[in-house]
Amino acid sequence: MKKWIDAVLQSPKLVAVPIMTHPGIEYIGKSVRDAVSDGEVHFTAVKKLEELYPSATCCTIMDLTVEAEAFGAPINLPEHEIPTVSGRLVSTYDEVAALQVPDLTAGRVPQYLLANRLCAQFVKDRPVFGGCIGPFSLAGRLFDMSEIMTAIYIEPDTINLLLDKCTQFITAYCQAIKQAGSDGVVMAEPAAGLLSDNDALLFSTEYVKQIVAAVQDDSFTVILHNCGNMGHCTNSMVQSGARALHFGNKADMGQVIADVPDDIIVMGNLDPVTTFKQATPEEVKNLTSKLLRKMAGHANFVVSSGCDLPPHVPHDNINAFFSAVAEFNASI
Amino acid sequence: MSEILDKLFECVEFGKINAASPYPPQLKGQDGASEYTQKALAQGLSPAEIMDTALIPAMTKVGQKFSENKIFVPQMLLSAKAMNAALVYIKPYFSSGEIKRKGTFIMGTVNGDLHDIGKNLVCMMVEGAGWDVIDLGVDVGPEKFVESLKQHPDAYVGMSALLTTTMPNMKVIIDAIREVNPKTKIIVGGAPVSADFAASIGADAYAGNPQEDVEALERFREECA
Repeated sequence: MKKWIDAVLQSPKLVAVPIMTHPGIEYIGKSVRDAVSDGEVHFTAVKKLEELYPSATCCTIMDLTVEAEAFGAPINLPEHEIPTVSGRLVSTYDEVAALQVPDLTAGRVPQYLLANRLCAQFVKDRPVFGGCIGPFSLAGRLFDMSEIMTAIYIEPDTINLLLDKCTQFITAYCQAIKQAGSDGVVMAEPAAGLLSDNDALLFSTEYVKQIVAAVQDDSFTVILHNCGNMGHCTNSMVQSGARALHFGNKADMGQVIADVPDDIIVMGNLDPVTTFKQATPEEVKNLTSKLLRKMAGHANFVVSSGCDLPPHVPHDNINAFFSAVAEFNASI
Repeated sequence: MSEILDKLFECVEFGKINAASPYPPQLKGQDGASEYTQKALAQGLSPAEIMDTALIPAMTKVGQKFSENKIFVPQMLLSAKAMNAALVYIKPYFSSGEIKRKGTFIMGTVNGDLHDIGKNLVCMMVEGAGWDVIDLGVDVGPEKFVESLKQHPDAYVGMSALLTTTMPNMKVIIDAIREVNPKTKIIVGGAPVSADFAASIGADAYAGNPQEDVEALERFREECA
């Protein structure tokens, strides 16, 4: 994996990695519910994307409910939309203290690990990234997102205890993803983007760092995704130690690249909806080219979508994105 | 402004809910918005004066600080909680007509999306700015928006989405509302939503933060006056 990162940093050619799995699920004619519940369907969708598009990596589904469900949180599992956590699991210190950290057989975790294993086994031409949630975003799903925002000030001991348990589970999950043969993990921590940089350091980065220290090495990379960051908490992302940082479409990539050291990969940030889903192929190509020109000369930049592509993105738009990247690289 | 209203303003601005709340550290052990509101009423200050002189200006300042990235979601929520603690004692005067409201605002997170944080912030800010707010909750489909609008035909509508996957549902809801009342003013917002997206689905306004919701509503109200 280090070789791949070094190659990205040293190559004048730009690398493209849109975060997407819905197009693959749609292409194989399965529902979202099928894909998030069955590791083989999940793998088939990801493999189809590998066949269809020249993405530099292969990523499993960005599903921010798997870990909360493993803890016992109730979830909605609609047929054609991504699952969502539907209720609060813990609300007091005592409840958090009594909360058991689940093992890796809970909920749909085994199916996600199966998808990682199959991807690692059958995708040989590019690195495979699994997906997981970040500790603060998981804690928010277990404690209620609105409530955790005020609880970090009113009852910080409760939240720190909950974050310890979330971190323990995510670390074990990432280690299992690594053992499954994946080359890294995309850790989605969007809720940290709602905090100030200082609070993000205290209630997210402090815990992300522990996970990174436990799993990241030359064979396994953590990509920290925070699409809630509007540029105000980039420092907290840098401090995580993750070798790659992924930004949402609200961040100014010109500012981001100036705030991030050159040896850390910076990924982002075309709008998944207004660009990938709603624009015409010509507009997608123009917007992609515009971003590439803006970021030209930054070897640590990897062009990507700002977040997971939603369902029903036209294939012509995805092709237009890759076409813009190919034309840009041909011009170098 | 009286000393009590100064204190109340400070409590809302810095999120001091009540005497028991440990936040903010600089006001620890002191009375909060709950106690100061009770004291203000006991001293004979009118509910309208409390709203207009302390609560609404404090929340306006909070909204401005948020839009300037001087404070973030936790601080804003604590301010809104302090505001709500004060409103517990003010709300009975809404129904008596002693305090005139600016209008009605219907708000919900769109179907398929269970995120409530943005919606809650908007509801709190808009209510704090002097509007009646009907909070439809999360996972709200077109039928529920339309039903509420039928009951409050002059209301303005806001909707939130936090997922790229649920944003497209906004257009479905807007189309349903337009069928019932083409003139209803609609504001959309949420982390992944942009002004371009808002325009593309036929919304009347995009709000990048709760203060912009308040500003859009004031604009609509002036247009209708």
